[in-house]
This record gives sequence, C-alpha cells and structure tokens, in this order.
Amino acid sequence: MIQTDKVLDAKGLACPMPIVRTKKAMKELAPGQVIEVQATDKGSLADIKAWAKSSGHQYLGTTEEGDVLKHYLRKASETEEQEEKQFPHTVTNDDLQDQLSRKDVLVVDVREPAEYAFGHIPGAVSIPLGELDSRAGELEKDKEIIVICRTGNRSDFAAKQLADSGFSRVKNAADGMTQWNGPTEQNEA
Amino acid sequence: MAGKTAIIASNGTLFDAYKVYNIATAAAASDHEVAIFFTFEGLNLINKEAYSQLAMPEGKEGIAEGFKKANVPAIPELVEMAQELGVRFIGCQMTMDVLGLEQEAFVDGIEVGGAVTFLEFAKDADVTLTF
Repeated sequence: MIQTDKVLDAKGLACPMPIVRTKKAMKELAPGQVIEVQATDKGSLADIKAWAKSSGHQYLGTTEEGDVLKHYLRKASETEEQEEKQFPHTVTNDDLQDQLSRKDVLVVDVREPAEYAFGHIPGAVSIPLGELDSRAGELEKDKEIIVICRTGNRSDFAAKQLADSGFSRVKNAADGMTQWNGPTEQNEA
Repeated sequence: MAGKTAIIASNGTLFDAYKVYNIATAAAASDHEVAIFFTFEGLNLINKEAYSQLAMPEGKEGIAEGFKKANVPAIPELVEMAQELGVRFIGCQMTMDVLGLEQEAFVDGIEVGGAVTFLEFAKDADVTLTF
C-alpha cells in the first residue's frame, strides 16, 4: 500500500469516465500532492499516461491487484522547475554514485512515497519533505547526508532545513532523480 | 487550453452518440476547448425525447447486452458530463427548420447556429472529427 493524499475510486467505470473523474479530482489537489486512481478499465493504463503527458502532471506508475489497476499521479507545480537552488553544498549524480559504497553516507529521498515506490536509489531512506521536520530525529547526526528529490528543488529546501536543525554534513544531490542513470529499485508490491 | 477539438455529429443511432460524446468528454477532460455541431440525424443526440432511448443500428440490437455488461454510462449522463466540462453544443438551425423543431425540444444549454458558427470555431481546431 502506497501512501497518497487522495484515493479516487473509478472501479467499474468505462472509458472515458476514469479520465473524466481523474481530471475532476486533480482540481482538488494542491500542487505536488499525489493521487491514487483505482480503475478496472484496462484502457485506463494507456489513457492515464497519455492524459498526464498532455496535462503536464507527473505519471508515477501503476500497480495491479487482481482486476484493479492503481495509477499514481502527482499534480504538477509550475514553480518547481524554476526555483533557484540556494543550498551551497551540492553533489552531482556522478559523485553521488561514487559515494554510495561509503558506510558513513546516507541518502535521504524527500519525494512523496509514491514517487519513491516506483524507483529509488537502493538503500535510500524515504522521508517526504512534508515529514522531514518531525522525522529528522531518525537520522544519525554523524553521517554525511545526501538529500535527493526529482529535480533538486525539494532537496535544496530539505538540505537547508536539515542544516538548520544541526546536521553538519548535508549535501543536495542537485541533479535529482530525473538525471539519475545508476541503479534503482522499486518497492515490493 | 491544451488544444481545440471540433466535432460534427450528423448521425443519430446509439453508436453515433457514444462515438461523439466519448471523444468530446475525453477531449474536454484533457483541457481541450470542444464544440459539437449537431446536424441532420445528429440532432437526435440532444433531443430531449430521443436522446435517452436512441436505437441501435439496424442488425446490431444484440449488442445492448454488451453495453450493460461494460457498465457504459447512459447518454444523458454523458451529455451532462460534457456540458459540465464546458463542451459547447451547437444545434443546426437549418435542420431544425426542416424538421419543424424549436430550441425547446433540445437539452438545456445548447446554442443554435448555422454552418458558419461551427466553421468559425473549427477553422483553427487541432482536431476535427465527423461522426
């Protein structure tokens, strides 16, 4: 089960209703939030992907449970790509890959749980940005922490937040997962 | 708006209605600006008396069962959905005159116009379809 901000039940509905309902439900989400769309229409798999592409939302992935398809989408946020990165300590994805084997390095993935579920760096810990404040205590202060998200913006914010709460060795993986060519793994269904 | 879809509905069976309204609602849900021009038998698709009981094409009556099984929405439901999503319905004035029908015979919220009304909308459409 993947944690999301909203679940839409479009089971039993034929084309084009799953898309119509998704469109409506998306309006109620804030940018960056994630929705799970449950559908039994097999055509919805191709349709959801195409719809996400044309509407600019981020298609995360689909799981199958019996006859039910569960599609995960993240609502687009216009500012996300444009914000200027401010945290001074960054690493490139190449550097990150070299450092993965080090025992004193911890990768923290601050994307939403559904984004993490469909592909993350092996060993990365999932703490969504919204939960970072309350869960920072789970992290060991003596480790070097490398924060990553999709495009380097949420992780920029997260890195600042961690530095402010006393973590001295924090870096932002500024390239983000969209540029990651190394190995990834998925949550087990 | 991500695009513009112009549809001509000129046939009046249940199959035609699904073709028209499925594409129209899907386009509207994908942020297209959509208008449908209803002409000749296509007017059945917005006729208050007719649109909830459209006939199957001749010889295809057996497919009624399939529609039920696939849980396909009823035509009035699709019409409501389409209008809610902002699809424009344009009834053809000339056909209405020929058939002796007034605007009151049709679902609420339609516009009535001639070929030029539709052409004005369709001239820069990204997708143009005729059913």
